[in-house]
Amino acid sequence: MIQRKRIVMLEVTTDWYLTLAAMLFTIGFLGMMIRKNALIMFMCIELMLNAVNLTFISASNHFGKIDGQVFVFFVLVVAAAEVVVGLAIIVSIFRKQSSASVDVLNVSRG
Amino acid sequence: MCQEVKLELLFLLPIFLPLLTSFFLFLNKKLFNELVTNFFTLNGALLAFAIAAYSFIALALDKFKPVNVELFQWISNPDISIGFTLDGLSGIMLILVTGLSFVIQLFSTSYMAKDENHCNYFVYFNFFVFSMLLLVMSSNFLVMFFGWELVGLSSYLLISFWSKKPAAAKAGNKAFVINRIGDFGFLIGLMIILDTFNTFDFYKILQNTSGVAESTITSISLFLLLGAFGKSAQFPLFSWLPDAMEGPTPASALIHAATMVTAGVFMLVRISPILQYSKIASLVIIVFGLITALLAAFSAINQFDIKKVLAYSTISQLGFMFIAIGAGAYVAAIFHLVTHAFFKALLFLGAGAVIHSMHHEQDIRKMGGLRKKMPITASMMGVGTLAISGIPPLAGFWSKDEILASVFVNGGVYYIFWALALGAAFLTAFYMGRHWLLIFEKDNGFDHSDVAEAPKAMTRPLLLLGIFSIFIGFINTPFFHGLEKVLHVTLENVEVTHLPKGITLVVLAVISIGAGFTGLIVAFFLFGIELHKRIDLKKFKLESPIKLVKDLSSNIFYLNKLGNLFFVSGMKNFTRKVAVVVDGMLIDGSVNFVSNAFNKSSKITSTTQTGLVRNYIVYFGLFLVILLALFIVNPLVPR
Repeated sequence: MIQRKRIVMLEVTTDWYLTLAAMLFTIGFLGMMIRKNALIMFMCIELMLNAVNLTFISASNHFGKIDGQVFVFFVLVVAAAEVVVGLAIIVSIFRKQSSASVDVLNVSRG
Repeated sequence: MCQEVKLELLFLLPIFLPLLTSFFLFLNKKLFNELVTNFFTLNGALLAFAIAAYSFIALALDKFKPVNVELFQWISNPDISIGFTLDGLSGIMLILVTGLSFVIQLFSTSYMAKDENHCNYFVYFNFFVFSMLLLVMSSNFLVMFFGWELVGLSSYLLISFWSKKPAAAKAGNKAFVINRIGDFGFLIGLMIILDTFNTFDFYKILQNTSGVAESTITSISLFLLLGAFGKSAQFPLFSWLPDAMEGPTPASALIHAATMVTAGVFMLVRISPILQYSKIASLVIIVFGLITALLAAFSAINQFDIKKVLAYSTISQLGFMFIAIGAGAYVAAIFHLVTHAFFKALLFLGAGAVIHSMHHEQDIRKMGGLRKKMPITASMMGVGTLAISGIPPLAGFWSKDEILASVFVNGGVYYIFWALALGAAFLTAFYMGRHWLLIFEKDNGFDHSDVAEAPKAMTRPLLLLGIFSIFIGFINTPFFHGLEKVLHVTLENVEVTHLPKGITLVVLAVISIGAGFTGLIVAFFLFGIELHKRIDLKKFKLESPIKLVKDLSSNIFYLNKLGNLFFVSGMKNFTRKVAVVVDGMLIDGSVNFVSNAFNKSSKITSTTQTGLVRNYIVYFGLFLVILLALFIVNPLVPR
C-alpha cells in the first residue's frame, strides 16, 4: 500500500467550531434584545442553547473526553421541557392580548 | 411537740382562706346571688377568725415563742425563701385583721346590698384580707413586699370600686401613684438590705445588726421609712387618704382606717432591732409624725364631709403611732394601732350607717339632730368619739396616754415634742366633738322625717365594736402589761422606752385627760350651745383669725395646691420638654431618617425594574460581560 499524503489546505480545527458557536450565540443574544415577538425571542433562546451545545461537543472532541457530550443530553432534555412550558405561556399571552409582543407586557414594572 | 406541728400548719390557714374565698367568689360571680355570696364570705371570715384565735391562744400557751414555717427556698445564695412566722407581733395583727374583717363584712352585707357589683366587692375585700395577712405574717422582707404591693392593689380596686364616678376612679389612681413613691423607697431599702445582709429573713437580719455600720442602718431605715410614709399616709405623702374616701365606707373602715394604713407602723416595729441603732431615723420619724399629727388634726377641724373628717383623724392618729416609734415606745405604737383599729372602725361603720340612713348624703351640714332618729348609731359613735378623744377608761386613753408619757420620758427636746403631741390630742378631741355634735345634736333645720335607724346587720357590728372600744384598752394598762408580755419575745433585743413611775405618770395622765376634756368642752361651747353667736366677735378682733384658721384648715394649708404647682405642673412642663426633645427629635428623628433613607434609595433602584423583558436581557448580558471580563482579568483564576 502506498501511503498517500493528504494535503489539507484548510484544516477544520476546534477553533472553527468555537467561533461558529460564538457567532450563533451572539446572533441569538442580539435577537433576544432586538426582536419583540415572543415567539422569535424563544427561537433565539433555542439558538443560544444550541450554540452552547456545539461548544460542549467540540470541546469534548478536542480533549477526547465523553463528558461534554453527556452534558449536551442534559441540555437537550432541559430545553425540551422549557419549550413545553414556554410555548404554553406564549399561547396564553397571545390569547389574552391577541399579540405576542413582549413590550406590552410591563405589568411587573417597579 | 405535737402541738407545735399542729400550730405550724394551722396558722397558715387563715392567710390562705380569704384567697380561696376570693377566687371561689370570683369564679362563681355570675352564679351566686347576694345571699349565697354572703353565706360564703361570712363563713369564710368567721372560720379564719376562729382558727386565728386558736393559733393565738396556742401561741400564748407556748409563751409566745415564734413559730416559723418555710414553705420553700427560692434561692440559696443570697438566702431568699418564701416563709411565714407567727410571733407576738404577727399574732396580734392576725387576730386583729381576721376579727375586724369578719365584723366589717357583716356590716358590708347590709351596706352593699343591692349593689350591682355586690359579689365583686367581696372578691376584692377577701383579696385585701389575704394580702394584708401576707404582709403581716411574712417571715422575710420579700413576702412582706409581696403583701405590701398586693394591699396597694386591692386598696386601689376598692377605692375606685364605683368606677363609674370619675372622682372615684381618679382617687384610686392618686392613691396608687402616691403609694408608688413610697414603694420605690421601700424597694431601695430592700436592695440595700440584701446587699448588706445577704438574706431577707427577719430573724437572721435582726440578730446580725451589731457588725453593721450606723450609716448603712440609717440609710436602710430612711428608705424603708419612705415606704412606711407612703403606706401609712404620713406628712409628705398623705394626700391620697382623704381622697380614698370615695370607696365604699366599710372598705374604708377596714383598709383606710384599721389595717392597711397601719402597715407602715407594723413594718417599723418589725424592724425595730435595726431602727433603734439609728438616732437620725428615730428623729425623722418623730418629727414627721408630729407634723402629720398636727397638720391632719388641724385640717380636720373645718371639713364638712363625714368621711373626710375621719380620714384626717386617721392620718393624725397614725402620726401618733409614728411619734411613739420615734420615741422608742414600740409597744405603745402597737397598742395604739390596736385600740385605734377598733374605735376608728367603729367610727367609720357609724358614718357608714349614717350615710346609709341619709340616702348617701355625706355633708354633715345637712345632717344634725339625728340622735333621736338613730339612737344606737349615735351612742356608739359617741363611744368612738370619747375613745379617740382619750377619755378614761375608754380604749384611746390608755394608748394615747402611754404614747405621750413615753415621749415625755425621753427628756430634752422631747419635752417640746410632748407639748406639741398634747396639742394634737387637744385638736383631736375638738374636731371629733364637733363631728359628733354636728351630725347628731345641732339642729340645722333640715327635715329628717324619712331617716330611720340602720338595719340590724349594721347596728350589731357597731355594738360589738363599741364594746371593744370601751374595753380593749385594758389589755395594756400601767397595772397590767398584757401587750408588753405578748411582744416580749419579738422585741427581745430592743430597748423599749418604758413608762415613768409613780407620781409623774399620774400627772401626765391627768394632763392628757385634761387636753381631751378641754377639746370636747370647747367643741361643745362652739357647736353645742354656739357660744360664738352670743358674744360679739368684733369686740375681741377675732373674726379674721377665725377666718384664717377655717381657710387654712379646709385647704390643708394649701399643701395640695403647692404640690400641684411644684410637682404636677412642673413635672408636666418638664415631661413636655422631654417629649419634644428626646422623643420628637432624637427617637422619632432617627427612626424617620432610617425609614426615609430606605424609601428614597428603593425608589431610585426600583426605576431599573421596568417590567420589559428586553431590558432584563440587557442587564443579563451586561453582567455576563462583566463576569467574563473578571475571568480574564482576575489573576486568581487558574489558567
